[in-house]
Amino acid sequence: MNNLERMAGWIPPLIDASKITLSLSVISVVLGMVAGTFIALGRISANKAVSRACSVYIFIFRGTPLLMQLFFVWYALPLAIPELTIQNRFLAACIAFTINSAAYQAEIIRAAIQSIDSGQMEAAKSLGLTYAQAMRHIIIPQSIKRLIPPVGNEFIMVLKDTSLVSTIALVDLMKRTSQIQSSASTALVYLPSAALYLIFTAVFTYLFSWLEKRHSVYE
Amino acid sequence: MALIEAKSICKSFGDLAVLKNVSLSVGQGEVVCIIGPSGAGKSTFLRTLNHLESITSGQIVIDGQLLDDRADGVNRSPLSKKEESAILLEMGMVFQRFNIFPHKTVLENVMLAPLHVRKMSKEDARARAEDLIGRVGLTDKLGVYPSKLSGGQQQRVAIARALAMEPKIMLFDEPTSALDPELVGEVLAVIKKLASVGMTMLIVTHEIGFARDVADKVVFMYDGTILEEGAPQDIFSNPQNERTRTFLQAVL
Ligand SMILES: Nc1ncnc2c1ncn2[C@@H]1O[C@H](COP(=O)(O)OP(=O)(O)OP(=O)(O)O)[C@@H](O)[C@H]1O
Ligand SMILES: [Mg+2]
Repeated sequence: MNNLERMAGWIPPLIDASKITLSLSVISVVLGMVAGTFIALGRISANKAVSRACSVYIFIFRGTPLLMQLFFVWYALPLAIPELTIQNRFLAACIAFTINSAAYQAEIIRAAIQSIDSGQMEAAKSLGLTYAQAMRHIIIPQSIKRLIPPVGNEFIMVLKDTSLVSTIALVDLMKRTSQIQSSASTALVYLPSAALYLIFTAVFTYLFSWLEKRHSVYE
Repeated sequence: MALIEAKSICKSFGDLAVLKNVSLSVGQGEVVCIIGPSGAGKSTFLRTLNHLESITSGQIVIDGQLLDDRADGVNRSPLSKKEESAILLEMGMVFQRFNIFPHKTVLENVMLAPLHVRKMSKEDARARAEDLIGRVGLTDKLGVYPSKLSGGQQQRVAIARALAMEPKIMLFDEPTSALDPELVGEVLAVIKKLASVGMTMLIVTHEIGFARDVADKVVFMYDGTILEEGAPQDIFSNPQNERTRTFLQAVL
């Protein structure tokens, strides 16, 4: 077998393991966005306690390594509180990545919301809209377009960071790559594996720029 | 009876006293123009009336209801939150920088508040919006996004948007200051039309000719106080205060 044929043979198992990589990325970024929106709203809320709590959350989960957060969910949490033992490695990874991404996205969303001209909120208030209505109908819809590029960026960071799950023996693209490397005794497998990562980032980069264009209709 | 009754309004931002005992009364159907140099507190005064700023002390009575009764920042108004919101709806506001919603079409801009605040049906909100947009001369722009409009057109949409809530009082904060000179006229024409149908209006403006035409009363503000008020012909032709004279010489 020549090298090309060998590499072609590795592609199906690599793609198979990519399902973990991709689903973990999509789930964490989507759930992280939902949670991040609430944390961002809490952060800018007039309620001091809520705002402080959200700041602390962001500080902790942006300020510690993601790998440590992953180990915490998988190894440390069950030791501290046995009831919170998570049997499923994939679920544990989703929790750790969502918690982490929520902190990053909260800051992205907060910045986007605060970049909207304050006159928009004033106009909404002067028309009798409540704060929640103004957020929902006026401020958040306008911030979405400004959100798309940094969230796209965040997505690509998460996609690459999912390689950390190989440390809890979850077989993602990275883990499968190193398994093949040791069984086939060659580093050649890094070529198709890197190519897959690049294809994924390229596809999602394209997707996010398409989304951004679609959201520019009113400009 | 006065529709707006502001009594001894004081407003400070930290240590900076911006309004110092401002009292003003605006009757039903009256048009009052506020003039004065930059930093006099004109915008702040307008914004305290509809609660975009809170006052430090004083009383604000709107349409006979005690909206604010403050001393040291504490409001002793007897109104519930709900009653307060209802009274605030009696005031519409038009801003210097339009603050039109850029992600909504002209029609959507005008329909939004009646739909979500008044809980009107879509059909009724739409009919009202179309009527108002027609009255400000923009029927051909219904489905257009604000970015495709001139400043004058955006400001006319903003006026229609405020009117859609059927306020009894309209507050204008320098509605033409951000406009190119050739667009000022179309906006002033819309405001004049409102005056002619008896809308109660409080207008901060630097357009002296316009104020002379439409105002029942002109108020000169300086350094957080009202220095002089009276009929336009008196203020403009025969100002009593030295500062009013200096200001008018500069703007005329
Ligand atoms: N949010 C704020 N915080 C602190 N100071 C403020 C704030 N808003 C206004 N001021 C100050 O209050 C004073 C009055 O401002 P205001 O905008 O009411 O003046 P104005 O008469 O409307 O002037 P202009 O003609 O420039 O619009 C100014 O000294 C301004 O710097
Ligand atoms: Mg002003």
